[in-house]
Amino acid sequence: MGRRRRRADLADAAGALPEAIAALSRSLPAGPSPEIFRRAKFDRPEAAPALWRLLFRVLSLLRADRASASRAPEAQARWVKAALRAQGYPRLGLARLPEDGSQGSRELLLALAWLLAREPLPERLLAQTRVRLGDEMPVCECGALASPGQPAPRVDAAGPVDVRHLQWLMGKLRFRWRNLMASQQEQCALLGKIHAYTRGCHGDRSLGHLSVAETELLRDPEGGRQVRAGACGGRDLFLSAKIAILPVCGGPLPPLGHPGAGMQTRSCCLVMGTPERPALWFALQLLQRLESENARLEAVLEWRRRELVFWQWMDTVLGACPPEASQPTFPPGLRGRGRRAGAWGPVAWELQALQEELQAAVGARRAAWAARVGGQGPEWSAARQAAQEAVGQELAALRQAWARGGGGGRAQPHGPHRLVRTEAGGPGGPGLRAAEVIGALRSREACLEETLRQLQEQCRQQLARLAGALPGLIWIPPPRR
Amino acid sequence: MLPLGCSRRLVAELRDALDTCAERQRQLEQSLRVSRRLLRAWEPAETPTPEPTPGPETNEEAPSPACTPSPQDLKELELLTQALQKAVHVRKGVSKAGERDKASSLKSGSIATSATTAAAPHGASPTKPPRGTRQATRPAKGLPKPRLLSAGDQTCAGRGPLAAKPGPGLRDPQIAPSAAPQAPEAFTLKEKGTLLQLPVAFRKAASQNSCLWAQLSSTQTSDSMDATTSSKTQFLQKMQVTSGWPSSRLSAAEVEAEVGRLQKACSLLRLRMEEELTRDPTDWMQEYRGLLTLEGLQAIVGQCLHRLRELQAEVVEQQLGPWPEERPPMASLPCGGGADPTWSPQLLLYSSTQELQTLAALRLRVDMLDQQIHLEKVLMAELLPLVSMQEPLGAPQLALCRAVHSLLCEGGQRFLTILRDEPAD
Repeated sequence: MGRRRRRADLADAAGALPEAIAALSRSLPAGPSPEIFRRAKFDRPEAAPALWRLLFRVLSLLRADRASASRAPEAQARWVKAALRAQGYPRLGLARLPEDGSQGSRELLLALAWLLAREPLPERLLAQTRVRLGDEMPVCECGALASPGQPAPRVDAAGPVDVRHLQWLMGKLRFRWRNLMASQQEQCALLGKIHAYTRGCHGDRSLGHLSVAETELLRDPEGGRQVRAGACGGRDLFLSAKIAILPVCGGPLPPLGHPGAGMQTRSCCLVMGTPERPALWFALQLLQRLESENARLEAVLEWRRRELVFWQWMDTVLGACPPEASQPTFPPGLRGRGRRAGAWGPVAWELQALQEELQAAVGARRAAWAARVGGQGPEWSAARQAAQEAVGQELAALRQAWARGGGGGRAQPHGPHRLVRTEAGGPGGPGLRAAEVIGALRSREACLEETLRQLQEQCRQQLARLAGALPGLIWIPPPRR
Repeated sequence: MLPLGCSRRLVAELRDALDTCAERQRQLEQSLRVSRRLLRAWEPAETPTPEPTPGPETNEEAPSPACTPSPQDLKELELLTQALQKAVHVRKGVSKAGERDKASSLKSGSIATSATTAAAPHGASPTKPPRGTRQATRPAKGLPKPRLLSAGDQTCAGRGPLAAKPGPGLRDPQIAPSAAPQAPEAFTLKEKGTLLQLPVAFRKAASQNSCLWAQLSSTQTSDSMDATTSSKTQFLQKMQVTSGWPSSRLSAAEVEAEVGRLQKACSLLRLRMEEELTRDPTDWMQEYRGLLTLEGLQAIVGQCLHRLRELQAEVVEQQLGPWPEERPPMASLPCGGGADPTWSPQLLLYSSTQELQTLAALRLRVDMLDQQIHLEKVLMAELLPLVSMQEPLGAPQLALCRAVHSLLCEGGQRFLTILRDEPAD
């Protein structure tokens, strides 16, 4: 009896597994067919290239690394290995695979499963390429322009320059920022108007008005006119549009499920459009992108329902692999290829400078305090205790500010938010209030201004010291504002 | 002249900053173009070739007396008209209400262009208006219009470019004087924006989209995933156990993240220190607290340094092994919202244009300050050694001092003056 039930279960599982894998494939970009997965279990060589491509696509999307998009397959394989290693992938077998994609599909399958097990991968990928219908504004500083951990910019092989060239570049930068600010103000004014004028049009009550994307969709659903308005070679393209329209008349309407006369002009967009012209494909893309995202979302939901069977299967795959010989650990004294030493420089330097300054300050204050503390009564020790506790708590709170989870922890809003115009004074629906974000930004601004001022003060003092060492000169600082 | 290495590095940094700024400007201008276009009158019948006589009146009974069309042109026009009428019939048969306005006006616009002149085939003209109005009134009969709702537009049926029906003969008089923006029937967002309605298919897709995302976030947080989660953890453990690499190491990604945190710690600690140092204690209690704070900060900095050295040692060890040397540059991680990203739509509510502008301006200012601080540190690291190391008092060295001072201390905006103190003989 038990055996029959087990057989029935196995039969179920046998059907459920391909479906689960198919759902997984559909939910990932460049997902290979379930057949590839099956072959990979048996380490068939023909399954390897598809898995290399998939891993490359997934990892480059995760790291938002667009630069590596157009590499040769061997270079892609190397990149994948390095990226997996950076994430902490444990198996050495991957490192030993040849990069021409001729073998190693089982190892690649294990790598994919490892990535899937660690985090909700399909959801994360979808969230990154999510179709944004609204006017988005980021509220966190995750995508800051000059993050300290950034890789060094590419150095040109130019000659030595004069310091005046640097001054000129700085001035140019200031000018560009001013332009940027002016343009941004204009854009906000226009956005405000568009939101105000389209009030009441959106089906979704919590939004209330249309965004630029949606309004653009209404203005120009076929995208045909985008050609003339947006493109540089507008006239020629429009000419070809005219020519393209005519043969299409009277033909059978392509079944795109979208009612309306978008059809004919839709095909003529296809004739003349190029993917590099985003405005051209705009309206078509929006609906199509929404639909494909919906399909992928459904695939993800199905995957989540069925994935248990996949993990049971992966256990068997892992079991089929021979265990790896453990790498002999190298003695820590060995001076390895410390390539990352460059990135440590600034942080270590700053921390050390800070430590020296603190040492000096503490020393001075301790001395002053020791001189001050004479005979203090019994209430002194109680007061001291209280002070110590208070300071301890304050410092613990300070530590939290950079600890895991970032400032404020999970509660801090992240990511781009859709701008929604509401009536002033109204309670509003769920959502972040602009006033809060403004407050947070102001405090951050004050913080940064203070940091900058301190750095400049440091430089001033150092230069003043140098000036002091050069006699016979009078240094007149510029008037403070 | 600055030394070669120093020059190259500094120029590279500054150019990088300039490029990021330029990229941002480019994106902003693209959005500006789109927004400006939306706020202008929407011009469905605009033609690329400027009309020779833009008459101000939009009088449909007066076909502009341009040159008479050649018979070939007329024949072409007839063919096109027929083709279009067929298309319209087919389309009307399939869809209830369509983008007739736009598509047909686009076609008519193009046809008018190919005819170049505005002369209508007179024979066609009288028959067009009735058809035009007939077809125009049909959509008004309560069929869901994906575009314009106002029945008021139907009055413009015979005239305006908007509700124009396939009647090139009818259209031409309008095309001729169509400096379309001036036509009072042209659609502007300001006047008729509230009448817009999104197309049905789009709305369906969008609502399905948000529904699916909501489902996704609910499955994320549901507890029914226990079996799956445990099998995943088991799998990961088994992977680790059967692999050849000891598990106690931190991955490079984690190390980078921790270094980033230490960097942030450093700036916060420094700020706190400066705050404490500039504070003037009024009584002994405050003085004591200040002392304790500084000592506490010192201890924390010591711990951070220690951790940094540990991480350094760890990374050096990890470099060994069969893994490839190439390290992909750590692209700044896209904001995933931490470990628990919310997939649901996040809204940012603002109440006035002023508020929005303040918000955007502050964002830009914060980014600019970030960049400035980064550049300041880079410049300090490169230029201060140059200034301090050279001894001679020659004019070039002094000029360098002056320039460095302005760059580092005044943001390159103001300069100090150096006077030679000549003793009066």
